[in-house]
Amino acid sequence: MPTSGSRAGKLGWQIACLCLLGVFLPALVTSLGYSLTDALGPGPGFFPFWLSLIGAVLSAVMLAQVTLARTDDAIAISVAPDRQAALRAVGVLIALTAAAALFEPLGYRLTMLPFIVGLLLILGARSPIAISLTALAGSFGVFHVFYHWLKVPLPIGEFGL
Amino acid sequence: MDTLQHLLAGLAAALSLQNLTFALIGCVLGTLIGVLPGLGPAAGTAILIPLTFKLDPTGSLIMLSAIYYGAMYGGTVTSVLINVPGEAASVVTCIDGYQMARQGRGGTALGIAAIGSFVGGIFATIALVVVAPPLAQVALRFGPPEFFALMLVGLCLITGLGGRSLLAGLIMAVLGLLIAMIGIDPVRGAPRFTLGIPSLYDGLGFIPVVMGLFGVAEILLAVQQPHRQVIKTDLASLLPSRDEWRRASGAIGRGTGIGFFLGLIPGVGAIIPTFVAYVFEKRLSKTPERFGQGAIEGVAAPESANNAYANAAMIPLLTLGIPSSPTIAVLMGAFIINGLTPGPFLFQERPDLVWAVIASFFLGNILLLVLNLPLVGLWARILYLPYPYISAGTLLFCVIGAYSLQQNVFDIGVMIVCGIIGYGMRKIDLPIAPLVLGLILGPFLEKSLRTSLEMSAGDFSIFFTRPLSLVLLVLAALVLAASALRLPPREIREASTD
Repeated sequence: MPTSGSRAGKLGWQIACLCLLGVFLPALVTSLGYSLTDALGPGPGFFPFWLSLIGAVLSAVMLAQVTLARTDDAIAISVAPDRQAALRAVGVLIALTAAAALFEPLGYRLTMLPFIVGLLLILGARSPIAISLTALAGSFGVFHVFYHWLKVPLPIGEFGL
Repeated sequence: MDTLQHLLAGLAAALSLQNLTFALIGCVLGTLIGVLPGLGPAAGTAILIPLTFKLDPTGSLIMLSAIYYGAMYGGTVTSVLINVPGEAASVVTCIDGYQMARQGRGGTALGIAAIGSFVGGIFATIALVVVAPPLAQVALRFGPPEFFALMLVGLCLITGLGGRSLLAGLIMAVLGLLIAMIGIDPVRGAPRFTLGIPSLYDGLGFIPVVMGLFGVAEILLAVQQPHRQVIKTDLASLLPSRDEWRRASGAIGRGTGIGFFLGLIPGVGAIIPTFVAYVFEKRLSKTPERFGQGAIEGVAAPESANNAYANAAMIPLLTLGIPSSPTIAVLMGAFIINGLTPGPFLFQERPDLVWAVIASFFLGNILLLVLNLPLVGLWARILYLPYPYISAGTLLFCVIGAYSLQQNVFDIGVMIVCGIIGYGMRKIDLPIAPLVLGLILGPFLEKSLRTSLEMSAGDFSIFFTRPLSLVLLVLAALVLAASALRLPPREIREASTD
């Protein structure tokens, strides 16, 4: 936690503290809806209530500490990635989300084939042969190994693949 | 049946062709994970869990354990050849290992690292055989209040030692515990924090969360880092000269001792033993100026400590059910997936399994020595694999792993969200280890607390009237107080982000 640092670093910590409060405070309110005690002692809400309360208090303390910390622009802490890197990271997340959405409707093989191609292109691979071979191995090859040899259940989609 | 008989029976089971194959596959995959920069042992072990779904529990745990200590071996290759640690524990090896490679002594550095790792691993496993059964016997006398206090000590150690800020560590531990509350209440059966989503009734899956926090987050970070140049060095001569042997042998012994004793303490993490072993050697040396310039002791000591730690860290897990690090927590998750709860009762209920796994550590260390010495050139070549292909493979396994545990796409979503959270945490240096430990220990901690309070009809004094529970709670408070007063040296705290 910075006691001094760049504005960007400080902002990152402040955002993190607010996010944590955004988790702990609703959890605290929700846990009040569960019974804290019952005939045998602590109820289902006992542990969540105290954890949420402690978490919220500690997060508030940390937010105060970070906010009151000295800001020193001379120290550069890189929190935000550069544009190219950010685009690649977002691309990876979009590819993963698309794969999750199509995983069961299309099945493992038909989902993973374009997923791997897209992912490799996003990450900077350029050889069409290597990309194609990797995609085939990662989709049909891995399916064969996991589904038939290791008996790991992977989805088969509407097209039977 | 005494310990030796148990061990021999375990050795016979581990030596079966099937289990030996699993150990070999685990060692190869683990070394591969260690060699690949960016993919740490926690993520690596987690993403390979699906490979073991259909294996029997013994085979599954032998393979996953081999992946774990194989990764601890493999991290050295990248440390020496590209000055980038393959996993966090190999950071210290970079200092002198990379210099040795630049001087054309890369083969010797990798050779002594493999030998030191072997010695450290074997010694720690022998100690595990000696220490574990009596410790498990003692732990059998623990009641719920003692287990609650013990888990609290483990969490406090991890929180206190596991990062630069105690406050941030505490918050992460509490967050992990809170996330563990999602799902059906284990005592009364009431749903908690499920938001009406059926997929949350069983709670957030540990494996998707860990895969996200470590695997996906590591890939998101890796796309921002420039690739490093692999050093061309002599890998033909792996064995040190007579003078190097003389220098390295003492360092291996001392590193092993340091790694073993620190491995017994939950929360120390894999970096601290290597760091302490390195500093100790430097202070002991009559020529400390050689350190940082390619001193062989600077490779031998941390590598021995690293593997002694890795094997010794299994002692708290197997005897007390306390994971020492995120990677051990993943292994604990694997036990739970197989319907087993690590801890003293496991020695009574499944001695066949426990001793087969322990015996496999001996075989695994021998396999790793065989794999690492003659095949070091092959491992070095893996470093030339373009990173996009490694990343794509990692994400592929993450997707398979997250989905296949419960055949639920929701878990892939959990993994993606946790990947984003893990990325953010790494960027601002929030400690992940306390969160992971809180997540795995949460259900056990809550169950112990509630059972204790049911025993005392809601009276909290039960924790203070039982001597052992009181001692453990005082210890937990002392750990937090020491950390709050910043008693652990700054270098130790900063080195301990596992």
